[in-house]
Amino acid sequence: MKAYDPLVKQLLDGELTLAELPPELQAEGSEALRLLAAVDRRAVMLPETLDARVMDALRTRARVVPVVPLARRSLGWITEPLELRLRVRPWALGAALAAAAALVLVLRGPGGMISRQGPAATVSALPESLLVRFVLYAPGAKQVGLAGTFNQWNQSATPLVRAGNDGVWTVTLTLPAGQHQYGFVVDGRRWVTDPAAPAVDDGFGRRNSVIAVGGTLRAGRVL
Amino acid sequence: MVRAVLGGDVERYAELVRRYRDRYARYAARMLGSADAAEDAVQDAFIRAYDQLAQCREPDNFAGWFFLILRNRCFAERRREARMGAGPGDIESRPIPASEQPDGMMDAKERLHALQQALLDLTPEQREVFVLKHVEGLSYDEIATRIGGSVPSLKMRMHRAYDRLRQRLKDRM
Amino acid sequence: MTTPRYGVLVLATVVCAGPLAAQRDVTARLAGRVPPAVAAAVRVLADSAAARGLPADPLVDKAIEGGAKGVAPERVVAAVRLVLGELDAAAAAIRAGRVAIPDAETIEAGAFALAAGMAGPQITELVGLSTDPYAPAATLRVAGTLTALGVPAPQTVELVRETIQSGGSGADLLALPAKLQSRVARGASPAQAAAGLARPDEARGPPPGQREPDKGHPPRNPHRP
Repeated sequence: MKAYDPLVKQLLDGELTLAELPPELQAEGSEALRLLAAVDRRAVMLPETLDARVMDALRTRARVVPVVPLARRSLGWITEPLELRLRVRPWALGAALAAAAALVLVLRGPGGMISRQGPAATVSALPESLLVRFVLYAPGAKQVGLAGTFNQWNQSATPLVRAGNDGVWTVTLTLPAGQHQYGFVVDGRRWVTDPAAPAVDDGFGRRNSVIAVGGTLRAGRVL
Repeated sequence: MVRAVLGGDVERYAELVRRYRDRYARYAARMLGSADAAEDAVQDAFIRAYDQLAQCREPDNFAGWFFLILRNRCFAERRREARMGAGPGDIESRPIPASEQPDGMMDAKERLHALQQALLDLTPEQREVFVLKHVEGLSYDEIATRIGGSVPSLKMRMHRAYDRLRQRLKDRM
Repeated sequence: MTTPRYGVLVLATVVCAGPLAAQRDVTARLAGRVPPAVAAAVRVLADSAAARGLPADPLVDKAIEGGAKGVAPERVVAAVRLVLGELDAAAAAIRAGRVAIPDAETIEAGAFALAAGMAGPQITELVGLSTDPYAPAATLRVAGTLTALGVPAPQTVELVRETIQSGGSGADLLALPAKLQSRVARGASPAQAAAGLARPDEARGPPPGQREPDKGHPPRNPHRP
């Protein structure tokens, strides 16, 4: 069986009309269009019982801890009221992020979706900002805020919320690409660094945690 | 909503399921050959998506990410069926039925069925590009964005699909 | 002779507009966040920075930080001066690495590396290593982060050098801190972890085909032609 003529294939692709085909290809073109006409384009509706089956399956799963799903937490004991230790195994999500106890969850690329073509393409699609999740274990706290270079060190601007009942606090926000310093503020007065993050002297006798977000895309050159 | 689920609210996931349940059902049905198979695939995909929700890189584009999970599930399903081999009840092995019409030409319903059968004889990649373009109505650029690959390579795949379909349906239509 | 004076006046206005605008920006950013005396001192320091081609934003950021942390005014000013000194030293070290006019991002990255505990000559060396496609800013940022994580500075330089010279990609470089933290979380000391990463085959991580889907990558097409 002969293959379709390339022009007929273009017809099938929608790049040509039947009228534009030469006379000797009209019959083949019509045959091809009949093939296309046989495509089942009807919408398919799935039964609503599917929803219930999915939810049942999810509810009976072992207790999911959605807050830190990418790392196994080993929670240190609190030795003094506000000495907070959170040992987290940070993942390098995509090779381009250096996250601390902040878990990077989202890569918002320019095209809306990153197409996976291997490390090179991932890197070349580095976005200008990323959604970053910060997590802190502070069971005794009444309020926790996040303060850093990205919010003028205003702890009330970025409060954390309790995630579940086991003393974990969390917040997710968009950070522009670049390096940021930050700390957690517990109960409005005690500044705490992120134990698993790199830290630098803040010049005031304390330390700030550091997070690097994304990479810099400049003049077509990555980094 | 994705973030709410990530924050621990499992029940919110039901909204996601309801919202996206049918969006890719047709794609799954054409890829797998039946609505029943599609139902299984979509159900599994939602469960797997929940498990991997933390790795969803764009909570605002759950649909696109969910599509990839469903797609993987469809490909896996075909691999599984191929491994198990064609049985008598297997859709794949049924020969394309000759028309019951007196003049030998198929009516619309038979043609529909015949083409679906022929589609199942394509490779999954060929079938996918055909379904995305001619069932879902995407352009080559949109297909490339969704599943990767260059437009020329997708076209090549599609053109091979056209030829195979023609061969499979020879004389039937 | 009014014309020359007019000319001079226009010239003076144009020359002053730049620093005045910058000053207004500093004042606006500090308003309500630090006492007026601190704001005034920071303005002077910011002008000095601008005159030397250094970015002024880090100074203002540090002042805002001090204000937010309730630090005494004189300590705030002292800290801002410290930042200026780091920016200055970083710029000098970067210029020694043959980048004639470093940009703000690179200077800030260098200052960060210094603050983390690296020394000028090491900054210079890192800049020298950062030829295309490695950007000095990213190299310095990564090095600073590694040092801040506890890797001794000389070893940081070695690790970065190894990664670059063994052909690692920019992404490989950026991934070093997280890889280090993984190893540290498994019990290695920062120095040990860094030593482990310096071996090229490990520095690049597992080959793509062996990466499990659960490690944060979206599901892959198993049939990629």
